[in-house]
Amino acid sequence: MDPRWQGLLVGILFGIVLQRGRICFNSAIRDVKMTKDNYLMKMALVAILVETIGFQLAAQLGWIKLNPLPLIPLAQIIGGFLFGMGMVLAGGCASGITYRIGEGYVTAFVAAVFFGVTASAVRGGPLSFINNWLGKPITTTNNPNGFYAAKDGAVNLTIANLLNINPWIIAIIFAILLLIIVIYWKTTERKVSGLNWITGGISLGIVGIIAYLSQKTYPLGITGGWVNLFRTTTANLDLTQPIPYNWMGMEIVGVIIGAFVAALIAKEFRFRAPKDPKTFAQVALGGILMGIGAGSAGGCNIGHILSGLPHLAISSIIFTIFAVLGNWLMVWYLFERR
Amino acid sequence: MSNEVKPTYTLDERGEVCPVPDVDTRRKLKEMKSGEVLEVLIDYALSKERIPAGVKDVGGEVISIEEIGPSEWRLLIKKL
Repeated sequence: MDPRWQGLLVGILFGIVLQRGRICFNSAIRDVKMTKDNYLMKMALVAILVETIGFQLAAQLGWIKLNPLPLIPLAQIIGGFLFGMGMVLAGGCASGITYRIGEGYVTAFVAAVFFGVTASAVRGGPLSFINNWLGKPITTTNNPNGFYAAKDGAVNLTIANLLNINPWIIAIIFAILLLIIVIYWKTTERKVSGLNWITGGISLGIVGIIAYLSQKTYPLGITGGWVNLFRTTTANLDLTQPIPYNWMGMEIVGVIIGAFVAALIAKEFRFRAPKDPKTFAQVALGGILMGIGAGSAGGCNIGHILSGLPHLAISSIIFTIFAVLGNWLMVWYLFERR
Repeated sequence: MSNEVKPTYTLDERGEVCPVPDVDTRRKLKEMKSGEVLEVLIDYALSKERIPAGVKDVGGEVISIEEIGPSEWRLLIKKL
């Protein structure tokens, strides 16, 4: 099957799970600090746990080569921080604003357009000078068990290849740690009408594994998809030519369709817009910060947190830490100061 | 309904981005006096599920959740 059809189908699945599980990494990170609510965080941890073992197993069986995102420390520190602040302003992470378009959120659409355009500008557009400032990737030649994708012998850094030990060891330690947290951290009580934290987390993890098996080069992502959609659409307006939309671009279209259908069936679709026009300026600014952050850091909450952490990639660990710090700073500024 | 509780205050949070409905509800509840009732209008299912879980630690209790339209709800919250 054409990879674009595969991307579309995986995207639809992803959109349904995001909508039914109400999965948003902005809420997951924020709620832990602001309201001591860990419901969505635990869902995310379950997904990362499932993927950690799933990716490793798929690599062991030779179905994929693990492909951690490149480590450019400044890019992940600054990019992660800006992304973390941006998602609070935008009212959702990269995947959150994408699936909420399918639920009829006008502000999510505005945030996503500013996010996509800015990320495109950073990745090979007029803002690409930002990437030149941030430096070049740090790689290694260690490739334990040949699990990792190598380019001219160079492999992106993970904890396992940094220490040059079997990646299973790190994956199992990480999975056990996650399991302990998931079991012993008391879950916030909540009456849910969609997927609960366990089924939502497992479903999300499985969609991530299916995505990796389908796309081969990486599991789920959002930023690359929006960049593909914007750049292809604006650069190739000659519709007689074949259009180079790719797996990830079609995945984005799928997420919106999947969320739309799921919301429609659950009677949760509705056009919603805030009364105060200032909110639109706020979400646009959030989209821009997210676009600069994810565009330069090499990924967003999905590329780095959901898909990158299960690799135990150093880049994704740094991005996650700084995205959390950026998120918490903005949460304090917007909601907790007085 | 004749036995309907009359709200002391109303917050119309329809259309607001996440997590403004939750934050506004908590803020208002903190200011309120014991026994007063807050009516909150929302149109997002996540807030419908999250507000009841979050108002307890600011001294509130959800007394009713009523569907008033497609993806629209009316929450009545009492300050304890």
